[in-house]
Amino acid sequence: MSLFSALSVGASGMAAQRARAELLVENLANAETTRTPEGGPYRRKDVVFESASTASPFSSVFDAQLESPTGVAVSDVVTDTSDPERRYMPGHPDADQDGYVAFPHINPAEDMVDLLGSSRSYEANVAAIGAVKDMIQRSIDLFR
Amino acid sequence: MLDRLAGQLEHYMDLLSMRQKLVASNIANADTPGYHTRDVDFQFELQNAVAGDPQTTEVAGLQMKNDGNNVSLDRESRLLAENALRFNVASNLLRVQIQSIRSAIKEGQSS
Repeated sequence: MSLFSALSVGASGMAAQRARAELLVENLANAETTRTPEGGPYRRKDVVFESASTASPFSSVFDAQLESPTGVAVSDVVTDTSDPERRYMPGHPDADQDGYVAFPHINPAEDMVDLLGSSRSYEANVAAIGAVKDMIQRSIDLFR
Repeated sequence: MLDRLAGQLEHYMDLLSMRQKLVASNIANADTPGYHTRDVDFQFELQNAVAGDPQTTEVAGLQMKNDGNNVSLDRESRLLAENALRFNVASNLLRVQIQSIRSAIKEGQSS
């Protein structure tokens, strides 16, 4: 157990929030995308977080069994399976026989709010790393 | 002369770093569904200088969110700042101790 593992816990939080922000930005960018390699409109993606140990190569099995503090990891990326939004646009190249085009079911406001939350969480992790780093520096200063 | 007080300070700093690690872990898991805030009973662990790792407990009385997560970022950022300040005080005290021993050694060398 050392303060250095707190640094990797903070880093895992930053990595997870960055992954979440990437997907949210992808959702926003593809809010009007009607063509994808899989066919059909783009589908909204979101992350699922799970707590995971940030075992370094130096930590032993013994450490892992002591309920050591955990970091966070992206356990899954889920794709929205709800029906696409149908808009009447007869002139659109992707329109069906009835003139309806399937658009992604994305609410930009929802994604923007999530993006703000992700950004704040990222900042919180940066603050945690800063505080831990300061503590390590203080310990090193004991030698001076 | 260095042993007793320095040992206590060391124990105090160990506990603070352990707690800071839990705080970092809580902040990292602020959006993990089903995660519960973890902490140590600081006063208890400080008074009982037992060997081995301190027991971590789940914190009671926090507002549970819809996804089963009860991390309060306000609580964690307060603890983050508090731990860093306490550690700062302890490390300064320890440094004064070490410096006094060192100056004693240096004075001995110069003569």
